[in-house]
Amino acid sequence: MFQKKAVNDESLFTMLMKGKMETEVVDAELVLPSYLSFKKVQMYEKYPKGQARGRHWKHLKQIIQAENYQNYPPDEPNYVNIESPPSMHPCKKICDITGFEAPYHDPRTNLRYANTEVFKIIRSLPNEYVQRYLALRNAAIVLK
Amino acid sequence: MPFISKIQRQSDYTLFSSATPIVIDNGASYFRIGWAGETQPRVVFRSIVQRPRHKATGEIVTIVGDHDPSLMKYFDCSRSGPRSAFDSNVVYQFEMMEYILDFGFDRLGATGSEIDHPVLITECVCNPIQSRSKMAELLFETYGVPSIAFGVDAAFSYKYNQQHGVCDKDGLALCPGFNTTHVIPFVDGEPIYKGCCRTNVGGFHVTDYLKQLLSLKYPYHMARFTWEKVDDLKMEHCYIAPDYASEARLFQARKGSSFQSKCWQLPWVPPPTEEPPSEEEIARKAAIRERQGQRLREMAEAKRSSRINELENELHGLEFLLKQLEQVEDSDIPSFLAETGYVSRQEIESARIKVTQSLRKAKGEPKSEQAETEKPDSAANEKYSLINIPDDMLSPEQLVEKKKQFSLKSMSDGRQRMKQKRYEEELERERKQQLEEEKRLENPELYLEQLRAKYKDLSEKVEQRKRLKTNGDHSNGNNLSGGIGRGERLSAAQRERMRLLTTAAFDRGKGEDTFGAKDEDWQLYKLMSKDNDDGDEGPDEDDTELARISSKLQDLDPTFVPKSENGSSQPAEASRVRPLTKEDFQIVFGVERFRCPEILFNPNWIAVDQAGLDEMAGVSIRRLSCKDKGLEQRLTNSILVTGGSSIFPGIIERLEAGIRMIRPCGSPIKVVRALDPIMDAWRGAAEYATIPQFHTQTFTRMDYFEKGEDWLRSYQLKYSL
Repeated sequence: MFQKKAVNDESLFTMLMKGKMETEVVDAELVLPSYLSFKKVQMYEKYPKGQARGRHWKHLKQIIQAENYQNYPPDEPNYVNIESPPSMHPCKKICDITGFEAPYHDPRTNLRYANTEVFKIIRSLPNEYVQRYLALRNAAIVLK
Repeated sequence: MPFISKIQRQSDYTLFSSATPIVIDNGASYFRIGWAGETQPRVVFRSIVQRPRHKATGEIVTIVGDHDPSLMKYFDCSRSGPRSAFDSNVVYQFEMMEYILDFGFDRLGATGSEIDHPVLITECVCNPIQSRSKMAELLFETYGVPSIAFGVDAAFSYKYNQQHGVCDKDGLALCPGFNTTHVIPFVDGEPIYKGCCRTNVGGFHVTDYLKQLLSLKYPYHMARFTWEKVDDLKMEHCYIAPDYASEARLFQARKGSSFQSKCWQLPWVPPPTEEPPSEEEIARKAAIRERQGQRLREMAEAKRSSRINELENELHGLEFLLKQLEQVEDSDIPSFLAETGYVSRQEIESARIKVTQSLRKAKGEPKSEQAETEKPDSAANEKYSLINIPDDMLSPEQLVEKKKQFSLKSMSDGRQRMKQKRYEEELERERKQQLEEEKRLENPELYLEQLRAKYKDLSEKVEQRKRLKTNGDHSNGNNLSGGIGRGERLSAAQRERMRLLTTAAFDRGKGEDTFGAKDEDWQLYKLMSKDNDDGDEGPDEDDTELARISSKLQDLDPTFVPKSENGSSQPAEASRVRPLTKEDFQIVFGVERFRCPEILFNPNWIAVDQAGLDEMAGVSIRRLSCKDKGLEQRLTNSILVTGGSSIFPGIIERLEAGIRMIRPCGSPIKVVRALDPIMDAWRGAAEYATIPQFHTQTFTRMDYFEKGEDWLRSYQLKYSL
C-alpha cells in the first residue's frame, strides 16, 4: 500500500516537472523519467533524495585488490596478468613540440627537441607550458 | 561518420515474445541495444550520464547519452561534467550503469512490470568478478531479467567475421577499443584467454592526446577544443603512418608548404576596415574643432576682461581712499580707516601697488624684467642703508633693522646667483644641442648609430639598477619575473636595515653596555631610521637622459620602439597591436595527424609502459606457447582488426609490416579489417543469441544464487555451438 502511494507521488511529481519544462526539452524526452514501469526497484527507492550516502563504489584499483588474484594459480588468466609486458623495442624519442625525431634533450626543461628553431621555442615557453608538455608523457614535476 | 546515435523510442517492444533475447553491446564509448536476430541495434548512444540542474525549475535531472547541444542551454552543466560508468574498460559505477540501462530499455520501448527477456551483454576480457556479479545483480534484482549471458565483444566480432569468411577458425583478433587494446588468439573458433594480452591505450587516449597537443599549440582557441569536436577531428584527419620516422621527416623537409597538412578554419569575422575619412569629413571635423576652440577663447577673454574690470574698480577705490586720506588730519586717520579695514597709509599704498601689478599682468603687459632687476640695484644703497654703518653708531632699533637688511640682502643675492646659474645652464644646453645637430648633419648614419648604442647602454644601466632594487644582488637574469619568498622581495638596502634592526634588538652579552661611548654608535640609528630605499629619488640623471635619447630616436628613426617598462611584456604587446587575421583562426594539423594515433603502437609516448599493437600480436603468440609451428602460421595468416580505433587509414599496412618484423622470416601474414569494426561486435552477439543452444549458455537468478561466486568467476561462454 505504502509502495503504491510512493509510486503515485513520484509519477505525479514527474508530470508536474514536465509541465514546468520547456516544450522542446519535453518533446525530445531529454530527461530520464524518475519512474519507469519496467523496473522492480526505482532509482528514488535505491538512492532516496536528501539522504547523504557515502561512496558506494570502488575504483578499478580497489576492485582488483579485492579480487585477491594472488590466491589463484598464476597460469589462470585474470584481469591483471593479461596485461601486456613492457615493449622490447627501444623507445622512439620524438620532439615534444613538433613530433619530429628528437636527437636532443634540453637539460633545463627536460624537453626533447628536434632542431635549433624548436630549441628557441622551448626556451621561450613559460614554465606552465613546459610542464604541460612534460605531463603528456608523465614527466612533469608533480607537487604533492 | 561511423559513430551515430539512434535514440528514437521503439514502438514494437510488445511484438517480441519473451523468449527473444535482448542483446546489449556495453562498450565504454557507445551503448548499443537491440533484438537477437536483427542486423542493426535498435538504440545506440554514447555511454555517458550527465546530472545537470534544470535552470527554470532548479531541479537536478538525469540526462543519458548525447543529445542535441542546442537543448542543453536549458541546463546548468557547470557543476558536473559527463560521467562514465567505466574505469578503464571495467564497469565500476553501477549507479551510472543503471541510468544507462534505464535509458536503453526505455528507448527500446520496454513496458510491463519487468524486462521479461533473456539478456546477452558484453563485458571485457577477464572482467573482475566484482563487476560481473554486480552487473548480474543489477539485471536480476532491478529489471527482473529471467536469464543472463556474458560475452566478450571482440570475440563476437571475430566469430561474426569468421562466419562471413573474413577470417579463419584459427587466428588473432586485434581489438583497439576505447580505453584498452586487446589481442585475443582463437584456436578452433574459441578464444584462448590464456594467450590474450591487454594494453591500456585506446581511442580515448588518442583523442585526449590530440586535444592536449592542439590546446598547447593554440592556447588562444583552447575553449574551442571540446572533447566532441576533437573526436570528430580525429575521425576526419588522423591516419597511421607506414613508418613514423620517415613520415615525420617528410613533413620536416616540406615545412612551410601545405603538404599533407589539413586545416580547420574557425569562424572568423574580419574586423571592420577603416576607410580613410573623406575631405568633407576632415573639413567638418576641423570646423567643429575650430568652433570649440573659439568658444573656449571667448570664455577666457570674458573672464579676463571681468577680472580687469574688477581690479580697475579696486584700484580706483584705493586711489580715492588715498586722496581722501590726504585731506584727513593725521590724528583722525585711525578712526577714518577703521571702517575700511586698513590700518595705515603704507598698507594702502602697498595694496595699491599689488593691484596695479596684477592689473598689468591681467592686461598682458610684459612686466619689464629689466626694470625689476635694475630697480633693486639702484635702490640697493638706500634699501640696505644701514649695512655699511658700524654697529656702535646705531641705536638698538637700527641694529635690529640692520640685521633685517642683512638677511634680505643675502637672500636677494642668492636669488640673483641662482638666476645667473640657470641662465648659464640654458646656454650650455643650447650649445650642446647645436653641437649634436651639427654632428647629425655631418653624418646622419653614424650619429643614429651612436645614439642607439647610447640608448642601449643607458637602458641596460637603468634596468640593472631596477633589478638590483627589486631583487637584491641576485642579478642572474633568471628570476627577472620576480622571485618568490620574503628574502627575494626585499631590496639590498631593506635587507641591510632588517639585519641592523635584528642585531640591535639582540642583547649583546651580559657585560656592561658600551653603546654610545663612541660617536659612531649613534650612526646606527640614522641607518635604520627609515626605509631609505623607497625614496625613489625622483627621476635621476640616467632616467632623464634615457627619456631624452628615446624621444630623439623616435623623432629620427621611425622603426624605433622604446622598450616598455618591463621588457618581458613586450612580445605580448606586439601581438596585441597586430590585428588578428584569418590565419590566426586556422587550426593546422600537420604531424599531429599521425602523431596521435601512433600512440597505439608506441604507448610509452603517453607514459604507458606496455607493448604496442604490433608487438602485442607477438606477445600473444608467445603466451599461447604452442609447440605447433603450423598453428602459429595459421594464427598469423588470419589476423582480424576490429574495434573503434581500427578505422584509422593505414593501420592494416602498418600492422602487416610490424608483425612481419617480429615473426620468423617467410611466415605467412595476412591482416584484414573487420567488415564493420564498430558494429560487428553487436551483430555477432545478435547472431549468437539466435542459436537454439543459446539458452544453455545463460544462467538464471536461481543459478546465480545456488552456484555462488566461484562458479560465476569461471563462467565462460562457449562461442562455437
